[in-house]
Amino acid sequence: MNDTDDSNFDDLMTAAADLATEVKPGRDLWPGIEQAIIKPVRPARTMWNTVWAQAAAVLILVGGSSGITYLAVTDGADVTTPVAGGPTLVFESASGSFGSQYNLGPDYLDAQRDLAGRLDDELDHLTPDVREAVVTNIAAIRTAIAEINLALAEDPDNVLLQELLLSTYREELTLMKQVNGFNLSAMRRDDI
Amino acid sequence: MMKTLSPKLLLVLSGLLSAAAFAAEDINETMDAAADGTVSISNVAGEVEVQGWSRKQVEITGELGSDVDELIFERDGNEILIKVKVPRHHGRRIASGLIVKVPEASSLEINTVSADIEVDNVTGEQDLESVSGDIETDAHAKDIDVSSVSGDVVIVGDRKPMRSRLNSVSGDIEAESLAGEIEAESVSGDVEIVDGSFTRAAAHSVNGEIVFHAELLDNGRLDVETINGEVDIKFAGDISARFDIETFNGEIRNCFGPESERTSRYAPGRELMFSEGDGSGRVTIQTLNGDIRLCND
Repeated sequence: MNDTDDSNFDDLMTAAADLATEVKPGRDLWPGIEQAIIKPVRPARTMWNTVWAQAAAVLILVGGSSGITYLAVTDGADVTTPVAGGPTLVFESASGSFGSQYNLGPDYLDAQRDLAGRLDDELDHLTPDVREAVVTNIAAIRTAIAEINLALAEDPDNVLLQELLLSTYREELTLMKQVNGFNLSAMRRDDI
Repeated sequence: MMKTLSPKLLLVLSGLLSAAAFAAEDINETMDAAADGTVSISNVAGEVEVQGWSRKQVEITGELGSDVDELIFERDGNEILIKVKVPRHHGRRIASGLIVKVPEASSLEINTVSADIEVDNVTGEQDLESVSGDIETDAHAKDIDVSSVSGDVVIVGDRKPMRSRLNSVSGDIEAESLAGEIEAESVSGDVEIVDGSFTRAAAHSVNGEIVFHAELLDNGRLDVETINGEVDIKFAGDISARFDIETFNGEIRNCFGPESERTSRYAPGRELMFSEGDGSGRVTIQTLNGDIRLCND
């Protein structure tokens, strides 16, 4: 190697030493990276029907429970207060659950308790065979509710089960209202 | 010396006295009424039979039970009120059989506890309720609302459009030759809708069987739902509808062709969705455990 070559090499090394050792990006990328690290990884959605099922379940839950509670509360407002002192047939309280993940809420449970309390009293005014029919059918409804809840525990997002459950809860309230209403219209008129 | 009555004679006399005391009272009363007014009837036990006639009068015949306080028979404008008044702590002899003739265009509101209700040839609206009595009526193009707890309900129409609401707890519901809109609901009783023609029909049950052998008109809607009961659908005439059928644990048998499919590899549910004709109507059937049969004539 001659002097000229050595001189060129030294110039190149000097120029290289002047180069920046790191490249700065045009904007600060760290906030985005940090957000991506902190944010939990979302599982890939492979089944769109699950999304729709959950959306439908929420709609059913909100709309349905409000609806049946409204049904119970509005028409039951004029029902007379139960007579104290009579023998009481106590129903096993339903859980008010809505599958494994949801509850129907305190309004529904209040309405149900209210109607069930009146029904206990109204049953005393019925003949034994009718009383048995009512008790048997309420038990059948509650068995159905338990059965659907059991299935929902295995398959919480099943829209069919959600709808059947809601409908069966409504059936229970309707039956209680119906029996209370009958006694009002046919047996408890002031002039009878 | 005073003669004593023989024991046999005493027995006969006491029998006659008791018979007189417990004898039912015959009734026969008539009152002028509006041609298309409302007749309200309340009778706890016995029977209520209502017949429509061409006169502008309401007539009551029959018998009042011996423990009945009185029969109230009043008119207030276009409304006629008939009530069998019984004591609050009544005995067993309150059963009263009423035969009530009303103007045929009258509307009816009837409430009973154990009394059966039978209505014939009344063309106005009907609101009939009984706790344990059976209800039987015919319907003529005016809305009808029938409720019973343990009694059976039978309605026969003349295929003119109207709105029917039928409700029972353990009694069976049978609706024949109705048309228009129908809503039938029972807990453990069977629901049978036959020979009708509907724009909208809904049948619900918890444990009872649901039978729909009728016509669903174009753009019509049929909703059937049961938990444990079986569903038997047979459409009369042509059917154009989208079908959406689903059961969680039952079987689906379909005459229209398409086979049901499993909803999940891990659950027992089956569903069936298809269209028939131009698909203008909508048929929805849902059960938890009940089997579903779907066919046409």
